[in-house]
Amino acid sequence: MLEVRGVDARYGDAQALWGVAIDVADGEMVCIVGPNGAGKTTLVHTIAGLHPCAAGTITIGGVDIARLPGHRVGDHGVATVPEGRRVFGHMTVRDNLLLGAYRRRARSRYRQTEAEVYQLFPRLQERARQPAGSLSGGEQQMLAIGRALMARPRLLLLDEPSLGLAPVILDEVFHAIAVIAATGVGVLLVEQDVERAMSACSRGYLLLEGRIAAAGTTAQLREDADVRQRVLGG
Amino acid sequence: MIAVQAALTGALIGGLYALMAAGLSVTWGVLRVINLAHFGLILAGAYLTYELVTGWGLDPILTVVVTAPVLFGVGACLQWAYERMNMVEFNSLLVSFGLLMVTIQLATNTWTADFRRLAATENPYATSSLELGRLILPTTTLLAFVIAAVFIGGGHLLLRHTFLGRGMRAFAQDRTVAAAFGIDHRRLGLLVGGAAGASAAVAGMIFTLTNSLTPAVAYEWFGIVFAVVILGGVGNLLGTLVAGVGVGLLSGLVSVIWSPSTEPFVLFLAIILALLWRPHGLFHRRGVA
Amino acid sequence: MTIRKGLSYLAAVTALLAVLAHFHSSVGIAPYSIVLTTTVLFWIAQATSWNLLSGYAGYFSFGQGAYVGVGAYSMAVLTGRHDVGFLWSIPIGGLLGGVLALAVGAVAFRLGSLRGEIFALLTLAVPFLLATFARINMDIDGGQGTVIALPAYPQWVGDAQHMLFYLSLAVAALAVAVALAVHGSRYGHGLAAVHDAEDAAEVLGVPTFRYKMVAIVLGGVLGGMGGAVFAMQIGFVAVESVFGLTIPLFVIVISVLGGRRHWLGPVIGAVLVVVLQDRLSAGGLESLENIVMGALLVGLVIVAPDGLYGRLRARPWLALGAFAVVLIGMSLTGYWAELDALLYAMFAAAIVATLADRFLAQPTPKSPDATFSPTRVAADRSGRTPQPAARAAGAADAGATEVAQLPLLHAAEALPGLAEAAPQAGEARAAEAVVGLGEAAPQAGEARAAEAVVGLGEAAARGRALVSCVGVTRDFGGVRALDGVSLQVFPAEIVGLVGPNGSGKTTLVNLLCGALQPTRGTVAIGGRPIGGLAPHRVAHTGVARTYQIPRPFESMTVRDNVAMAVMFGRTGASLSQARSKAQQHLATVHLGHLADVRPGSLNLHQRQLLEMARAIAAEPVVLLLDEALAGLNPAEIDDAVAVIRRIHATGISIVVVEHLLRVLNQLSTRIVVLDRGAVIADGDPAQVLSDPAVVRAYLGRQRA
Repeated sequence: MLEVRGVDARYGDAQALWGVAIDVADGEMVCIVGPNGAGKTTLVHTIAGLHPCAAGTITIGGVDIARLPGHRVGDHGVATVPEGRRVFGHMTVRDNLLLGAYRRRARSRYRQTEAEVYQLFPRLQERARQPAGSLSGGEQQMLAIGRALMARPRLLLLDEPSLGLAPVILDEVFHAIAVIAATGVGVLLVEQDVERAMSACSRGYLLLEGRIAAAGTTAQLREDADVRQRVLGG
Repeated sequence: MIAVQAALTGALIGGLYALMAAGLSVTWGVLRVINLAHFGLILAGAYLTYELVTGWGLDPILTVVVTAPVLFGVGACLQWAYERMNMVEFNSLLVSFGLLMVTIQLATNTWTADFRRLAATENPYATSSLELGRLILPTTTLLAFVIAAVFIGGGHLLLRHTFLGRGMRAFAQDRTVAAAFGIDHRRLGLLVGGAAGASAAVAGMIFTLTNSLTPAVAYEWFGIVFAVVILGGVGNLLGTLVAGVGVGLLSGLVSVIWSPSTEPFVLFLAIILALLWRPHGLFHRRGVA
Repeated sequence: MTIRKGLSYLAAVTALLAVLAHFHSSVGIAPYSIVLTTTVLFWIAQATSWNLLSGYAGYFSFGQGAYVGVGAYSMAVLTGRHDVGFLWSIPIGGLLGGVLALAVGAVAFRLGSLRGEIFALLTLAVPFLLATFARINMDIDGGQGTVIALPAYPQWVGDAQHMLFYLSLAVAALAVAVALAVHGSRYGHGLAAVHDAEDAAEVLGVPTFRYKMVAIVLGGVLGGMGGAVFAMQIGFVAVESVFGLTIPLFVIVISVLGGRRHWLGPVIGAVLVVVLQDRLSAGGLESLENIVMGALLVGLVIVAPDGLYGRLRARPWLALGAFAVVLIGMSLTGYWAELDALLYAMFAAAIVATLADRFLAQPTPKSPDATFSPTRVAADRSGRTPQPAARAAGAADAGATEVAQLPLLHAAEALPGLAEAAPQAGEARAAEAVVGLGEAAPQAGEARAAEAVVGLGEAAARGRALVSCVGVTRDFGGVRALDGVSLQVFPAEIVGLVGPNGSGKTTLVNLLCGALQPTRGTVAIGGRPIGGLAPHRVAHTGVARTYQIPRPFESMTVRDNVAMAVMFGRTGASLSQARSKAQQHLATVHLGHLADVRPGSLNLHQRQLLEMARAIAAEPVVLLLDEALAGLNPAEIDDAVAVIRRIHATGISIVVVEHLLRVLNQLSTRIVVLDRGAVIADGDPAQVLSDPAVVRAYLGRQRA
């Protein structure tokens, strides 16, 4: 469903991505691993339209979204859970969720989606009227995911969901992500906790200095020399 | 009794300050533009109202039907220009200061510096008043407050309970993430800028209804209106209304307890204390990152 | 240009103007020129004094009218009602202006979180307040306005206009002299640092509060004196003429037009604006004056926000040529008055200078390696390639990994009493191990001696604590960011500070450098409690820090960024001394080859290195590195780690806040783990990283 082909991205003169190509199918969980500074977040931002795509194509269900401005990319079913969660701290939990359904398409069914999100994360319902800034880190992560789900995406981009979270909470979060994928949503996961990412996903890519250095099933990646050396710390 | 009367009148006039502050507060909070030219828009709204009433014989309140759309357009254009020039908060202060000076001078050149006031024949609300026991509330003041409160309250409800409003609040906090959820900053900018323009039209109309008009009056709005903006919390409409009423009430009280002339001092003192004590406004909830 | 030279030029120009005015009829200068020049001088004085705070330090004020008004009313009231002589009234006006400025500054700058915009709005209210005060106070004029009688003056002066001219000239020359002296001085550099990055300036040792106060008071005094003379010039002082917004408008337009970062800027701007204004009134277009000025301001902010000075400086001959051509051309045709010709010539020069860069495009020189390429970063280090920090990132294959010999570190020299230290060539870590040990002689390939010693956990081996936090708690509103944290840092340590996001690491760093005060508990540096000390005082006790997001002084070269820290550091130094010392510190972080570029053309890694160079230039005993490796690629991380080791080898203890555990494991001698504001582990890296509580809170399954 998602096809990224030959994508470059730059910061001024500095090129951060070089001819990146990845695929994600409906309902599939795919991870991107790589050391800090490899360009993982840039890749997520480029797919989400938050960073300009300098070359290449990014298609969702056959539609090229590479040149669309950030606020239009979501029209094609891409939703992002940004690094560091970035929930709207001054707004209530519920307002955060409803914001996720800002788009016309999602807006018409927001009640139904909201109920689904509460089913997935019951804690959010308990805290619906609290300001999002008062939630714990784990709850904020759930909120960020819930907010993205409110957009009724086909593809969910998750950027470092484990950042700063306790393992117990992480189990819960990763379980929820698997549930989401099981409903047919494609998941692209960028994660520093490589072990966890590898065990959650079926396929993965290794990103090194802005290039795809290895690709395959997570089982294959575990055996890859680069992966072992560069990210598994073996 | 005199004190109660003064406090009440002051509080009602505070509604007008709040309405003036509302447009500034929202453009500052949501769009990060400190638009001093907003005072120019209020002035334009006031003079347009004056012209429509004296020249065309319109009911003062009905003039809003004409002035609000006009100033909505002006406000939206202004915002479009700021956006095009990629203004940071600080430069917006400079550019809008320049625009304000241009506006005031244009108003002076067009309408002279003379004071103008709607005659009783043109202003059907000027002579009547509501009496509550020994309290007397002039209809104009009462109307001014009601209109201001309705507008601010409406704006508040819109911000709190609509998708558009949530979009604005989200945009104010984190533009990138807001964009990822489909918020188009250009459209939002035009809308907020336009709405601020329209609110300026209403504020201008109310001012003409209750006061004498001269271009230099725009300067006098500065201190009090910015105090209301900061006290209410930038971007917080309900806070703005409460702060406006509070400031109005305080100045009403001060002017009878001491003298009208001490009013600016007490207000200024209040602003400084508030800044020291609650720099993010009176209603800022702390600890919510 | 040195200050002394500048002042002598200024004196010469002032004397020349005075002589020309005195003999104007003999040299054929029209009397009207003297009137016009007096006006120019008034605006020079105002814009220059405004520029001290608002230009140099970047705190924009809309309140210049307040000082002018106070000066003008001093003149009106003192000469009119109290028979004070006008020569006395001028300094008194200055004094009162200074007192007012002191009051405004004391209120405004006490607000720690005060942002520039709020300051601007606050100053907007001051003239308005004074206007009401004048209106209601019958001892002033009750809003009626006051006529100022022309005072008696000695015969030699000539006529009244000459007297005004000389007074204005004196005030303007004084203002420009002050601005000039400030601009070239240590104080001026401090103000520029406040403009560029106030927080960073403060923690480097710049007393920002005092500096801002001095700037605002100088502005007030000069503004008040100018206002007093202005009162005599206009002859009738009224609330509207001094407390309105016309004065701030003109002052801002003049300074923005001329340029705010140099003392000549307002002078250039004043000449242009006053001639423009004069031509407008000569053409009967007075009513358009504010419109033209307002439009000019809008246009300037968009087209040339930095003002003309910089542009003229870049292309002096082109501008002069355009000026001369237009002036001569128009004079020859004979259709134009001199002043018209002058105005058009000045505009021609300004436009040519401003637009020259657009048409004669000349790429601005860039730093040789302003890219993220690790290979180039590594290769550019004066031909040397740093050895990667052993297995630090365990993963670098870029150009940086080619192993080269690291030059012998001068740890032994840097640390008296460590004479026996004999680090092996190629062993970057040896130096670190040596520090504080005295006789350690680590073998090649085995470099964990320091760690081993610290691992003993005996305070005796560590010496006296450099940093000591006891029971430190910090609340933000209702949220407790730190809860009873006790932490010590001993000489020769590299303490790794880790913890999940929001665990209070940055808060702790802010407490250690004095940027925040603890709610409870004490922080002591070198045994001295720093409670209540301003950050610049804390800096002088020996603490330096870097910021996660680098905050260089953008208007200064890389060298001057570092020189700032030397100048305002513990030892203090003159600018030229500081510059040569800065070069050494830049060499330590391998940025020496970029000393002359501006920080804007550095990449993230280089900006981080600059942060470090600036921090060590303050000659601290403890260096706090706040996520100095965030966002770097593996090769850059290796490079940064090598730099940190070199810094450590000079005898500085280091606290590193970092997420990359592999790096910390290699780099630090001790690791402290924070979780939800409390210390949950503190000790030997290997031990801490395998502690179950740490694993649970932070590491997760990755390491478990």
